[in-house]
Amino acid sequence: MDFLAEGFRRAWGLLVAGDSEVYGIALLTLKVAVVATVVACATGLPLGYFLATRRFWGRRAALTVVNTALAFPTVVVGLLLYGLLSRRGPLGGLGWLYTWQAIVVGDVLLALPIAAALSAAAIQGVDPRIRRTAETLGAGPWRTAWTVAREARFALAAVITAAFGQVVAEIGAAMIVGGNIRGSTRTLTTSVALFTSQGDFGMALALGVVLLTLALVVNIALQLLQGRGGG
Amino acid sequence: MVLDLERFTVPRTGVLAVVGHNGSGKSTLLRLLALLETPTEGEVLFNGAVVPRRAPASLRRRVTLVEQRPILFRGTVRQNLEYGLQLRDVSRTAANGIIGHVVEELGLQTLLDRRRHELSDGEVQRVAVARALALRPDVLLLDEPASSADRAAAGALYRALLAERTARPFAVCIASHQLEDAYRWADDIRALAEGRLSPVTPENLFRVDLPAGDGVKSVRVGSVEIVVMTDRTGPAVLAVPPTDIFVSREPLPSSARNVLSGRVIAMAVEHRGAGVHVRVDIGGVELVAAVTAEAARDLALAPGNAVVFSFKATAVRVF
Repeated sequence: MDFLAEGFRRAWGLLVAGDSEVYGIALLTLKVAVVATVVACATGLPLGYFLATRRFWGRRAALTVVNTALAFPTVVVGLLLYGLLSRRGPLGGLGWLYTWQAIVVGDVLLALPIAAALSAAAIQGVDPRIRRTAETLGAGPWRTAWTVAREARFALAAVITAAFGQVVAEIGAAMIVGGNIRGSTRTLTTSVALFTSQGDFGMALALGVVLLTLALVVNIALQLLQGRGGG
Repeated sequence: MVLDLERFTVPRTGVLAVVGHNGSGKSTLLRLLALLETPTEGEVLFNGAVVPRRAPASLRRRVTLVEQRPILFRGTVRQNLEYGLQLRDVSRTAANGIIGHVVEELGLQTLLDRRRHELSDGEVQRVAVARALALRPDVLLLDEPASSADRAAAGALYRALLAERTARPFAVCIASHQLEDAYRWADDIRALAEGRLSPVTPENLFRVDLPAGDGVKSVRVGSVEIVVMTDRTGPAVLAVPPTDIFVSREPLPSSARNVLSGRVIAMAVEHRGAGVHVRVDIGGVELVAAVTAEAARDLALAPGNAVVFSFKATAVRVF
C-alpha cells in the first residue's frame, strides 16, 4: 500500500514541479495523436460516407475488410510498418524509422479503420429521407454529404473521439517504429511501460495521470465543439 | 416496388394525379420523376432530353419532390425553408420575400422558429410543401401531400397550390390514394395498380353544381336525379360509396331517398371471391354497388338483369 501512496506522492510532485521531461513527453504524445487523428479522420470519414451511401460492386467486401481491420493488433501494424520503413524496406529511403512521423503513420493505420467503419455505421443510421430531401431540394454531392453528416454529428463526434482514444492509448506500434527514444520518440504509453519495468513506479504513475488528463481535456474540447443538443 | 410502364408523361402545365393503393408503385414513380433514382430499364426524359444516370444538380433543381412522410432537417422551420434558396444563391432579401409569401400561403407564420420535434405530422407536411414551393420548380411532385392533414387542412393545402399555379404555371403531379381528392383538384388522372397503368375506375363519383340552400337537395347527374344532404353550394364532387348501396330486384319500401332502377352491365369478383362489384346502368349513368358473393347468388344477379339500387341521401358524400 505504501508503495502505491508513494507513487501518487511522487506523481503529484512531478506534475506540480512542471518536470520538463514529463511535459515534453506529454506534448509529443499530443502532437502525434492530434496529427494522426486528423489524418485518419480526414480520410476515414469520407470513406465511411462513401461506403454507407454508394452502391458499387465489392461494397460488402470492402465493409468486411474495414470491419476486420478494427481488430488489427497494434504490434502487428508496428511490425509490418517496421518492415516497410527499415533501411532495407521499400520505404526505407524516407528515413522515418524511429521518428515521430513513423509513429504517426502507424497510428493512422490503426485509427483509419475505426474512422471508416464507425462513420459508415453512423451514416447508415441517418434516415435515408434526409439524403433524398437534400438532393431533391437541389444539393450537389458535397452539400448532400454535409447535410447528412450534420444529422449524424453526435455519432460522428463519437467516431473522432474513438479514433483519438485508439491513437493516444496505443503502445505496440509506437514502441516498435518509434523506438521509445528519450527526448525524440518517447510517448506517454511507451514511457509508462519503460518506467514500470525500471521500477520507477512514481514516474510511471505520473505519466499515467497525464495520459488520462490529456484524454479528458480532448474529450471535453470535442464535446464543446459539438455545441448544444436539440433537433 | 417494381414499376412497369410503357410511357408516362407529366404535362408541362396542369395538375396530374396518380391514384393507386399503397404499394401500387406511386412513390417509386415519383422518385424516378424527381430524378433521384434511375430506372433499371428505359429512360427518363426532361423537356425531351434524356436524363443521364446520376442527374446533375442543375437538372434536379427544376424538379422537387415532397415525400409521403416528409422529413425536416435539423434546425428551425425558417432554416428549412432557406435551405434550397441558399443553394440557388438567392439573395437574403429575395429569400425573405419568397419565404414570407409561402409562409402566408400555407399558414406557417407561428411555426417559423420551431424545430422538427415541436411540429405535428400535418405541420411537417405543410412545411415540406412550403419548402418545395419556395424553390419555384418547373415540376412539383407531391406524394400524398394531405395524408397527415384533416380534410380542412388538406383543402387549404390544395387551394394554396392552385393559388401558386395561377400566379406562375408549372407542372404538378400528385400521388394519392384518394380518388375524391384527385377528381377535385387534378386536371387529369392516371391510375396505377401493381406497378402498371390501369384504367381509372371513378366509381360513383360525379361532378355536380349544387343549388343554393341548406339541407336536402336534389341534383341532376345525367338523366338521374340524386338526393343529397349538404349545406354546400356550387361546384362539388359527389361520391356514393359502393358499400352504402342496397341492391334488390324490386323497389323496397325504406328510408332511402334514392331509389334507382337499372340493368346490370357487369359483375366483378373482389376480395378473393367474398365480394362482388355490381355495375349497373341507370338511364345512361353507371353506378357500382358492393355486395357479398352470397347476396349476389341469392338475388340471382347477372348481366342483363333488372335491379334496384337504394341509398340514403346522407350516404352521399360531398367534396
